[in-house]
Amino acid sequence: MTELTIKQLVVARGGIPVVRGIDLTVRSGEISVVLGSNGAGKTTSLEGISGIIPAKGSILLDGEDISGQAAGIRARKGLRHVEQGRTVFPDMTTEENLKVALAPGASLEEAYGLFPELVQRRDIKSAMLSGGEQQMLVIARALVGRPKVILIDEMSSGLAPVIVSRLMEAVRKLADGGMAVLLVEQFANLALGVGNRAYVLRRGAVVYNGGCEALLKDPARLHHLYLGDVADSVAMHA
Amino acid sequence: MNSLLTSAVAGLSAGGAYAILGVCAIFTYRLVAVVNFTGAAIGATGTFIMVALYESGVPLSLAVPVGILAGALAALAVGLVMATWFSGAAASTKAAVTAALLVGIIAVGLRLTGGQHPHNFPDLIPGSAFRLAGVEVTWAAVVTIAISVVFTFVTEQFLARTQTGLELRALSQRPMAAELIGIRVKLLALSVWAVMGAVTAFALMVIAPQRAPDFMSLSLLVVPALAAALIGAFASFRAALAGGMAIGIIEGLASGLDTFSQYRGAIPFLVILAVLMWSQRGARFDEAR
Amino acid sequence: MKHASLKAALRTALTLGILAVLIYAFLPKYWIFLVTAIFITGIALQSLGLVTGRTGMISLCQMSFAGVGAWVTGYLNVAEAPGGLIVWIVLGGLAAVPVGVVIGLPALRLRGINLAIVTLGFAAAFDTVLATITFPGQTAFIQVVRPSWFESDGGYFALVMIVYVAIAVALEFVNRSRLGASWLAVRHSERAAAAHGVSVPMAKLSAFAISAFISGVSGGLLAGYLGTLVAENFNMMQSLALFAVASMVGAHFTLGAVAGGAMITLFPELLRRLGLPQDIGNVFFAVGAVQAMSTGETISETWVRLGSKLASRFRRKPAPVAVADVKTARPLGAPAVHQPGVALEVNGLTVRYGNVLALDKVSLKVPSRTVVGLIGPNGAGKSTTVDAIAGFLPRYEGSVSLNGRPLEGLLATERARLGVRRTWQTTRIAPELTVGDYIRLAAPGIRPSEIEAVLEWFDCPVPEAAIASVDAGSRRLIDVAGVVAAKPPVLLLDEPAAGQSYAEALKLGDRIASIPEVFGSAVLLIEHDMDLVRKACSDITVFDFGRVIANGAPQTVLSSPIVQKAYMGVELEEQVA
Repeated sequence: MTELTIKQLVVARGGIPVVRGIDLTVRSGEISVVLGSNGAGKTTSLEGISGIIPAKGSILLDGEDISGQAAGIRARKGLRHVEQGRTVFPDMTTEENLKVALAPGASLEEAYGLFPELVQRRDIKSAMLSGGEQQMLVIARALVGRPKVILIDEMSSGLAPVIVSRLMEAVRKLADGGMAVLLVEQFANLALGVGNRAYVLRRGAVVYNGGCEALLKDPARLHHLYLGDVADSVAMHA
Repeated sequence: MNSLLTSAVAGLSAGGAYAILGVCAIFTYRLVAVVNFTGAAIGATGTFIMVALYESGVPLSLAVPVGILAGALAALAVGLVMATWFSGAAASTKAAVTAALLVGIIAVGLRLTGGQHPHNFPDLIPGSAFRLAGVEVTWAAVVTIAISVVFTFVTEQFLARTQTGLELRALSQRPMAAELIGIRVKLLALSVWAVMGAVTAFALMVIAPQRAPDFMSLSLLVVPALAAALIGAFASFRAALAGGMAIGIIEGLASGLDTFSQYRGAIPFLVILAVLMWSQRGARFDEAR
Repeated sequence: MKHASLKAALRTALTLGILAVLIYAFLPKYWIFLVTAIFITGIALQSLGLVTGRTGMISLCQMSFAGVGAWVTGYLNVAEAPGGLIVWIVLGGLAAVPVGVVIGLPALRLRGINLAIVTLGFAAAFDTVLATITFPGQTAFIQVVRPSWFESDGGYFALVMIVYVAIAVALEFVNRSRLGASWLAVRHSERAAAAHGVSVPMAKLSAFAISAFISGVSGGLLAGYLGTLVAENFNMMQSLALFAVASMVGAHFTLGAVAGGAMITLFPELLRRLGLPQDIGNVFFAVGAVQAMSTGETISETWVRLGSKLASRFRRKPAPVAVADVKTARPLGAPAVHQPGVALEVNGLTVRYGNVLALDKVSLKVPSRTVVGLIGPNGAGKSTTVDAIAGFLPRYEGSVSLNGRPLEGLLATERARLGVRRTWQTTRIAPELTVGDYIRLAAPGIRPSEIEAVLEWFDCPVPEAAIASVDAGSRRLIDVAGVVAAKPPVLLLDEPAAGQSYAEALKLGDRIASIPEVFGSAVLLIEHDMDLVRKACSDITVFDFGRVIANGAPQTVLSSPIVQKAYMGVELEEQVA
């Protein structure tokens, strides 16, 4: 049983505080969905959690505060950050991308089991894969590292809805297999459909914290949280 | 015509040296993203430690490995500076740092080796391999060229086929993504430096007897080395290999022509200028900024 | 601005003048001779400070430029050319200019690293050439003749000081001019400089040319100082050591150049007296340079920082970073009058990155004196559109026109000069500038009172404040204030409110809404905060997957199902319905 608990996370980008003290929790077997429009601080939060940029506040992985550690050490302790923009190693084949991330005892079959689509693309340079396939590859690459927690940033951006659905289903499978997943998304509905807990960010602060289902059933509220009028959403948070 | 060929053949040995230094420069740039001005100076360090040991009576069979090790350690020291303080720095800052380090390394080197004071350089690989166009092609030239070819080939294969090679490629393509999947980035980077230092040290040991063998001249071989690396666009080992050989041969040709022989030291500069003017003709903005 | 330059120039001249008199009056002859070398080296360091410190181009051949100047001076001496040493030195400096320009030419298109390689290659090539042709008079021991006034060592010291002060004062003026600001801007971000209408090639080339001239002069002075020269005075090692010292001390500061000159000259002297080998000075310089580059702060900057800290301890009230006082609002000046009609028109814009279609036949119009919003999810192609309009993409299909004039074929600098101005998602202001310098860079020819008025209007810090001392949120406002102050026909604002708090963002929205009325410009605004968009825009266009999916009045567009679908996912519209 793994639990990642974030408390009072503050992250600045180029001197500007973009994330202004947020609390998040994610547990094994669950997907915590972080929503919000662009510029709300979603990506920056993930970068603070994984150690790409320095952050203030505490980041507890199974009770241990990892907030002062380098990104590489956090990764080796079981945190995997699937960055925005499908960061495949472009000159390497699909299989090489997976091999390089393989944890001792893990096998490529785990990756191909989750995404059978990748099998026939195994010897193709990852730069030549389609956007959807690249997204599958980076998720699979994180998986074969046998992490405890996986952070996924904006996997849907620029992808057709049918592929996004396919990815969501795979992420749900990951969680069902016991992984803790923190899923950052701009597209609310699909993410809420597979998630357990939801957070909505606006200008670096959490303006909604509750179950996914409740938010999914209340589109008017979601509309407010996204497209303003912000007065309601602030009240809601209070 | 024949005399031109003679001059060209005479440039082979220098060409081999430029090739291997150029390949090493690309090796460092591709894998740890540093344009390294200290490459030849690091090699010179190893070479002179070997010479010091040899002069004090240590047999070559021991002096050479110790010298190679010293080259690796010198490179490791430079690598440690780069990885510790400059891992996130801009590429041009990193290059500037190695240029500054070059000043220090040359100063220490000249001090410890007594400046222009002549040293007794052993011919590690003595003798003539064969005659070509009436010129003796030395074993040293043949071995230098062989080292550069073998190093290129081994590096390519290593990167393509081993797990560490995969990790190195991942590191060079996306350092942050590599770190985020748990690759030990710093350890790998330091190993790259060490290997580069060892190879350069050995290469310089072989060719030192044919050059003006003072610490500064050997360190400044970095100029033709970088010219060769530019021919390879800091990406292609094979092009750098060919480019280094070509620069050596052109230098040889120039020394064969009386009017130009004095100015052959300017050839790497002309090559650099020509390559850059050609390769950058379409560029408009500095990509990074 | 003239006033500030004059003050700084006078201060520099006076300080150096007093220093020179003190040295002349109190130091023994041997020391005067040594100090002369400090200032000759100081001149060479100033030249390097200009090209490397200010403009950010690594030059590893600065002593070769000096060598050109020295060689020409020596040649004119041997040829007994008319005019005497001073004329020869100037000619030597001028002779170095074309050399500098030729070396600088590849820099027009090159990144810093390649330039470092070119200059090192040139230094090596110059070494071999100089070793072959030797200095004029070197073999015959012909001394360079000093003018009769400056013949003694004391007199020559006076000459060197006069030249040093002249160059330092000239540089004070140039550095505070728009050219000087453009050097810093180019160093910080070439694209941002081009977006202000700065010609990046001209900035780089002028830096190289002026730098080569100054360096050539230092070489000529050295020829007169030593009488005879050898190639070793100008070899590659000297250039490299000069580079290390410049990086360590910060040679683009007057203080740094003098301190660096002192180090290069006095360190060997000190080591000699201590009975230590003199060449280990270079080790010290190398370590110092690496240290300075790792902290990003040169010795000059450290001294200034510590000095001002010390000074503020003695001062009663610490000077706060004052925000301009809104109550005594200054007049903004009349809005610019631009051609009515459609200010900016984009037609069928298509952009491909490799196989990816980033923009697919996008069209939009920004009528003059209106604010049009451009919104859409991540990766929809908004910033790509701005890049295309402002001329930062190597190629695109379709057309962009300003007041009916097609912009195709014009570079970013030219488009900026015609009046298509943009800001960036991340602030790209050179931190070495003051707020006022930056506004002048962005809006050439603006009057001082107007600078203050614009800054007040945006609640920005006062013009004298250093950018480095301004918080990041205010820098974003200054960024917007700069392009707005230029009152161009079209402004492209790329997420100006990113990182601002909600209240600040709304306030900024109000201001942006009144830009057309107050300044006369039309605005294309990229923004994610829909409340800000509603406040500021009279019309919005929505992108998704590189296509226009909606446009019209904000309320209508934002409540349309297709927009909500783009923003929040695929099934929302069914549930809303």
